[in-house]
Amino acid sequence: MRVRIAVFIGLAIVMAQDVFAQSRGNPPDISGVWGPYRGGRGADPKLAPPPASPMVLKPEYAKPYEQRRASETEASKRGEPLATAAVLCVPYGVPSMMSVAVYPIEVIETPKQITIVAEAFSEVRRVYMDRPQMKIDDVPPGYYGRSVGKWEGDTLVVDTVGIKESVQYQRMPHSDQMRITERIRLVAPDTLHDQITIEDPVVLEKPYTYTLAYRRIPNYEMVEFVCDNNREYVDDKGVVHLRVQEK
Amino acid sequence: MFDTTKSVTLTGTVTTFQWTNPHAYIEIDVPDGDSLKHWSIELGSPSILMQSGWKFKDLKHGDKITVEISPLKSGQTGGLLIQAKLPDGRTLGNGPGRGPTQPAGGGK
Repeated sequence: MRVRIAVFIGLAIVMAQDVFAQSRGNPPDISGVWGPYRGGRGADPKLAPPPASPMVLKPEYAKPYEQRRASETEASKRGEPLATAAVLCVPYGVPSMMSVAVYPIEVIETPKQITIVAEAFSEVRRVYMDRPQMKIDDVPPGYYGRSVGKWEGDTLVVDTVGIKESVQYQRMPHSDQMRITERIRLVAPDTLHDQITIEDPVVLEKPYTYTLAYRRIPNYEMVEFVCDNNREYVDDKGVVHLRVQEK
Repeated sequence: MFDTTKSVTLTGTVTTFQWTNPHAYIEIDVPDGDSLKHWSIELGSPSILMQSGWKFKDLKHGDKITVEISPLKSGQTGGLLIQAKLPDGRTLGNGPGRGPTQPAGGGK
């Protein structure tokens, strides 16, 4: 009888622990390869990314930004789109590397670090788990800055600072005070959302938020991408050309 | 750079097939009267091309192919691939939205 009671109590404890673990929200496994999911016609609205917030720049930054966008549009109409840094094989950096055309990303989870590899340009970012972030002014500006992460229930929250000013998302200007917060979570078993919020007290009137959606691509083997045959070049007007072989 | 409102069809002989990043290239000699004109054709990256069914050994020096391209606006002999008819009879595109596509792998 005593044995039975002990087994019953033991079982109750295990069940209670299970319930506790579920209510606390065990971190899900987001390791693997993920392809961009843009939604569009016929897409499941629960899986497609929600629309971005308006991008509101402070007046002194808004005007030059709008002028630049206008000259871009005009150049595209002429059929001479202005070059981005990527034409010269300069990597995209954070956050643009999280969404490059149709290229997938790979998430690798290890106990103290989550590593994200983008197929395009083989970009790598490292998210240090459960470590304090450094002061913005102590992080040397770069393409990936410094990212720290923690799980809040089922959501991976990643904080990034230290992105250099030339590394821009859709040509949006930013200062050395920019901070990027990502909330990454599974919205369905094989659908991942990355809600990206950019704050910049110098340039932005209010935070800018957009969301990327991904679908899991089982068994995909990432393709190497080393930019060793770049035959496109940019002239002094910013127009892209192709080096053709002469015969 | 490319005039995507135009389409030019070329039939010629492959001199090299560069399976490289950020773009692959097909170099071809195309008969032009009594001589040959050389064309450089830009494709997507290997990753994107594989989604259209391409393999790195699909073309080699001496192969005869027909390509449909958007020509360079500059008038130079170069262009962006729309689709290619390979020696084995297959017609392959240039990634999503450019020519015939094969079903992409798992949910892309």
